[in-house]
Amino acid sequence: MSKNLSKLSGRKGLENNLFDRLGSEAAETGTIERSTAKELADEYLMGKANIYGVTTFYDFLKPENKGKEIYVCNGSTCLLAGTQDDVYHKISEKFNADQIGHMCCLGRCHENSSFHYKGRNYSGDSINKLDEIVRNRSIFNDDYHVEYYGEQILTGLFKGPEAVRDVMRKAINMSSLQCLEEIKTSNVRGRGGAGFPAGFKLDSCRKEQDDEKYIVCNADEGDPGAFSDRYLLEHQPWSVIAGMMIAGFITGARWGVLYIRAEYPECIRVCENAVRDLVNLGLLGERILDSDFSFKLKVIKAKGAYICGEETSLLSSIEGQRAEVRVRPPYPTQKGLFQKPTVVNNVETLAAYTHIINKGGSWYRSIGTEKSSGTKLVSLDSFFNRPGMYEVNMGTPLSYVINELGGGFKTPVKAMHIGGPLGGLVPLGEIDKINMSFESFSENGFLMGHASVVSIPQDFPLIKYLEHLFEFTAAESCGKCFPCRLGSVRGMEMLRKSQNEDYKMDLELFTDLLNTMEQGSLCALGGGLPLPVKNALAHFEDELKPYFG
Amino acid sequence: MSKIAYINDEPFPFEEGVTILNFVKENKNKRAIPTLCDAPNLDPFGSCRVCSVEVALQQGGKTKTMASCHTPLTEGMYVYTDTPSVKKLRKNIVELVLTDHPLDCLTCEVNGNCELQTVAAEVGIREVRYPEGKTHLDRHKDHSHPYMTSDLSKCINCYRCVRACDEVQGQFVLTMAGRGFDSHIAKGIEQTFFESDCVSCGACAQACPTSAISDVFQSKSIAKAKTTRTICTYCGVGCNLEVATDGSNEILSIRAPYEAEANGGHTCLKGRYAFKFYNHPDRLRSPMIKNKKTGEFVEVSWDEAYTYITNELNRIKSTSGPDAIAGISSARTPNEENYLMQKFIRAVVGTNNIDCCARVCHSPTALGMQRAFGTGAATNSIHDLEYTDCILVIGANPTDAHPVTGAKIKQKFMKGVTSIVIDPRRIELAKYATYHLQLRPGTNVAMLNMMLYYVITDGLVDENFVKNRTEGFEELKEEILRIDIDALEAITGVDRNLVREATRAYATAKAAMEFHGLGVTEHSQGTFAIQLIADLAMITGNIGKPGAGVNPLRGQNNVQGAADMGAQPHQGAGYLDVTDPEVNHRYNTFYKREVPSHIGYKIPEMFDAAINGDLKALWIIGEDVVQTDPNTNKVIKAMNSVDLLVVQELFMTETAKHATVILPGASFLEKEGTFTNGERRIQRVNRVVEPLPGTKPDGQIIVDIMNRMGYEQPDYTAAGVLEEVSQIVPFFAGVKWEELGDNGKQWPVKPDGTDTKMLHTDSFKRGLGLFTYFPFQESKEIITYQKDYPYIITTNRELEHYNCGAMTRRTGNVEILTEDVLMINPDDAAKEGIADGDMVCVESPRGKVDIKAFVTDEMKPGILSSTFHFPEVMLNIITSDEHCSEALCPEYKVVSCRIRKARKTHLRKAGELEEVH
Repeated sequence: MSKNLSKLSGRKGLENNLFDRLGSEAAETGTIERSTAKELADEYLMGKANIYGVTTFYDFLKPENKGKEIYVCNGSTCLLAGTQDDVYHKISEKFNADQIGHMCCLGRCHENSSFHYKGRNYSGDSINKLDEIVRNRSIFNDDYHVEYYGEQILTGLFKGPEAVRDVMRKAINMSSLQCLEEIKTSNVRGRGGAGFPAGFKLDSCRKEQDDEKYIVCNADEGDPGAFSDRYLLEHQPWSVIAGMMIAGFITGARWGVLYIRAEYPECIRVCENAVRDLVNLGLLGERILDSDFSFKLKVIKAKGAYICGEETSLLSSIEGQRAEVRVRPPYPTQKGLFQKPTVVNNVETLAAYTHIINKGGSWYRSIGTEKSSGTKLVSLDSFFNRPGMYEVNMGTPLSYVINELGGGFKTPVKAMHIGGPLGGLVPLGEIDKINMSFESFSENGFLMGHASVVSIPQDFPLIKYLEHLFEFTAAESCGKCFPCRLGSVRGMEMLRKSQNEDYKMDLELFTDLLNTMEQGSLCALGGGLPLPVKNALAHFEDELKPYFG
Repeated sequence: MSKIAYINDEPFPFEEGVTILNFVKENKNKRAIPTLCDAPNLDPFGSCRVCSVEVALQQGGKTKTMASCHTPLTEGMYVYTDTPSVKKLRKNIVELVLTDHPLDCLTCEVNGNCELQTVAAEVGIREVRYPEGKTHLDRHKDHSHPYMTSDLSKCINCYRCVRACDEVQGQFVLTMAGRGFDSHIAKGIEQTFFESDCVSCGACAQACPTSAISDVFQSKSIAKAKTTRTICTYCGVGCNLEVATDGSNEILSIRAPYEAEANGGHTCLKGRYAFKFYNHPDRLRSPMIKNKKTGEFVEVSWDEAYTYITNELNRIKSTSGPDAIAGISSARTPNEENYLMQKFIRAVVGTNNIDCCARVCHSPTALGMQRAFGTGAATNSIHDLEYTDCILVIGANPTDAHPVTGAKIKQKFMKGVTSIVIDPRRIELAKYATYHLQLRPGTNVAMLNMMLYYVITDGLVDENFVKNRTEGFEELKEEILRIDIDALEAITGVDRNLVREATRAYATAKAAMEFHGLGVTEHSQGTFAIQLIADLAMITGNIGKPGAGVNPLRGQNNVQGAADMGAQPHQGAGYLDVTDPEVNHRYNTFYKREVPSHIGYKIPEMFDAAINGDLKALWIIGEDVVQTDPNTNKVIKAMNSVDLLVVQELFMTETAKHATVILPGASFLEKEGTFTNGERRIQRVNRVVEPLPGTKPDGQIIVDIMNRMGYEQPDYTAAGVLEEVSQIVPFFAGVKWEELGDNGKQWPVKPDGTDTKMLHTDSFKRGLGLFTYFPFQESKEIITYQKDYPYIITTNRELEHYNCGAMTRRTGNVEILTEDVLMINPDDAAKEGIADGDMVCVESPRGKVDIKAFVTDEMKPGILSSTFHFPEVMLNIITSDEHCSEALCPEYKVVSCRIRKARKTHLRKAGELEEVH
């Protein structure tokens, strides 16, 4: 992270946002040409090197992306479901190899066979209609179960600008301080994975003396297997946007950025339309509802980098920098976007704000457990009999979610990878001990994270899955810190070599590697990878033993 | 009360905000915690993680592993630096690094001085246990550049080079490209150093912990015997240098010490790399006398040369009087040598005909600031940039001419400090500035009047400051309120609203800091503009407080010192008025000779006197007046008119070619003394190598002549002369050679040795600060010639070369910037049928030159700009005799000319001048 680049990018602000420009300049060919890099560098007072460095960081800006027409999902659930060889094969009948790229997780984990073509995602049976898709740009929306168990909050009815108007009227009538108190009372914790008390974050941003502050919605949900944010952005955008407005009202921020991953094109369309409607109705802009509160909102389309789910990388990304993890402190609430106080919240957290303001902090706190209030969205993948999106009260037994809501598995499963690639690997035998709350997962040595459930079938070699996790981390590592940049590759190489060559891993070296990444990494990507690997070593010792010397 | 934290259970006090790493370094030792990505002049970055420590909130409590470089210390923290867990972690990280690093330490240029090698040894690496995997060992070396080199197979991805390029120089040439394991350093868009926009400052090479980025001098190699600390010879920033030598009089390389106050571990390419002139084959190595018949120089012994000079000087003195002799001292040489030169001219020859190149650069600054404040020097220090809220740069281009200070200012500009640039060119800083007032050359006085007008009419006057600290305000106000703002807007060509906004920004800042350069002084109204700048600072209360002041960016390394030492005709050593009887008495007593009390010739007057026969002898040290003073043909005529022209030089410059006697002097690397930088900092120049055989330190040459002319002056030593100086120059009273240390002292230095970072804090040197009004007056150059010569050419400097280029053109710099060019606006170029790279004939009433066009929107239509670094162009053929009415500083910045595409397609050879008229 460069302070100079932050400030230089900040000069053009969000109206002429550099990252957005990079996206539009690359729209034609798939990358940024040298001459364009030079022009942008001059315009933004940066070096050509900076523009080039950024270009090469993102999957959908880098030179190798040039000419890509169609993208095959290579996320974990599609891998485990074993659907992608067939998808690739069918696509390669129509496209040259250099026209085919990869996208990591399109969020169609409930039915797999996912691919992306010209701004649309497809899954399930769509691959068999490829002709039609290419010919007519046909749209096939996906369909999955959406249910709640306990309180219906996030999956409930909150629709249209009217709903936003009502909740904002309520917020404005309450005063920003009262709104903050409601959030604090609710005890809602950040849904991005870390579970940080949301009220505390809003408060610390509110306390910063600065005319310029930002609210950033982290809609870069890149965890393979998780599609709860996608659900909210596609089906509940109003609650998310209202949540951002509430956060802006509380902190004094006048700008919001909704940063949505490029792999979710439908979300971008839905949110852009919602923002347009709100602007047209005067619900976004100057003096909202005749109050002193002004708030503008910009939807920014990400360019393909899992690391942007990490909040400081996300901020650098919006600034048009390489999305490398920043050191903390200073925290984003002190020096965030363009070095200004910023709240970065996850989609689900922001949606919760809306309902907390609507129904009160005490009401929200009464739901769930002592330490984890409210409800949680859980994504179940295609191995379940009833894949889909489930809203459950915090504290709901995991076994209930698996067996009752999900209806159990279609085919035998030996473990579930819960909470994203950096979440814990939960053997089926452990599920009775766990309920859906931050504390329960952590007490049992796992992580709730995004509460996405990726099933590992009985016949899928765990060693191969571990290799996949290292490969994913190596591909997505920002490259800044040594343990992650180097460790992810060396781990991947060892795992691969142990399967393909006459090579046995040294358990001490492998453990050293895991500890080095866990203790030493700058962020949760390198630091989090060892958890599922260690879970696997602990719970599946017999299966993994042959690979160690 | 300070807070307490613990290192391995031992308590230490600390100040809020310190990182764990710095806390441990301060209280234990610098290497107590190994690091790879940390560097003294860069922000904490946290990439290598080798500095990890364990931290608990109570003694022996539950610990957490944290990177110490970016974690702030808090009260009661227990830091454990060497637990088995962190030791293992560090070792394991370094082991990972070594999986992608060549194992050729023994043949590597930094063997023994490689931070990776050191850290690997510290953490106890014995083997790399990983199986062979992907590496980046096949990366190509880059030897494209005259100075910078890279071998990125040695890169450990610590980003120190990228951060140095960004945070220190602000150039953005380097980036990390790619992602994860594939991430790698790129220059520009995967270019070579030479193709990239690199300015060769070398910050990246110095920052790199391995030899991944280095330089052709292998400055990180420890195959050297000795390092010597000294001060750069180029501009007035006064960078500290650490020069490595091999013990046999050969200079190997130069680095910038991190703890240097003037430059904090940074230099530009001139300071760091442009030193190879010192033993260049072109160096003059013997005294020479010109054979009058053949015009050839004949090598003679020092004795012969001295005898010839002494005889001639005595002859001229007895036949024409001492005022027929004059000296031009050198602002490139130390204080002590300047002092001796003026003493020689005043006390031995007996005339006040002594001047130096301050005449052609900052003489209006010295005069104007003396009139307004009482002292003609920067009021504040460069470090005050840390405290300022607004920076005003007027008529200066520091990123080229004062690169280290320029880089510091650019950092502030980029980070959004309110910034105003007043300059006819869209210079680099203007691109980053909040306000750029792109005025017509020669209209500074009009612009400053507009600003004063808006300060007064918008009620922005600092009434308290004006009331308590100044005089003459009411008179100024009366005049300012009468100005015709419409007329001034038309004259400057700058929108009045923009001027008003910029003025408001300057006037309302808590502390606003002004910098100026030759774009203010080298005008017919130069001194007046300085006085108006002083007005602007005083009227807004921006004097005598941190982060404020009036700060001339002095051109030569020691131009401040040359004037301080009395190398000017109206003031002797210490700025004492030579016409004052008391002062005269003081000098007479001190020098034990009769010193005249009438003012001597200023440089332009010397040339006139030479041409009209009044001046018979001229002695010039280290100044190429033929190439750098205006109206070259006239200067040459003056050189050829005197009976005796002594030139003390390193090289056969354009001036030396006209000499009667040439004396080979020594470079800064070969002598000792002190330089005084632009912030009044007197710093020690230490001898690095012995003078080349056949040459002598300039101070010793003067001492020799003084003795031969019957004045007893002890042999030259810096300490000895400095002691003499401290007895006559009041503000040097407490300066002692032994006590200057590495960072020197800022004058005035009191007898007890305490120095002064800021002037005029409680009262001005002259008592009250003086407001004075001056109306704008169009230059005679424009009035007389505008009709026939419609373009205005203004002169500037390029980063790579220094003034006449005698030194820099004899270094690798000449491979980077090969010639002077004419900057011209695209509209003008189109109108005149000139394409980029065409040769253009530029003609003024004085003469014409051919020069290559560089078409750029940095220039406004109608305005041209160029440099005079190269004798192949000799741009000063066209510059004029107009000068500041007060200080006689030439008007280099406003030259009327006309242009056309040249008939010639190539440059003349250096020194081949053609008569124009």
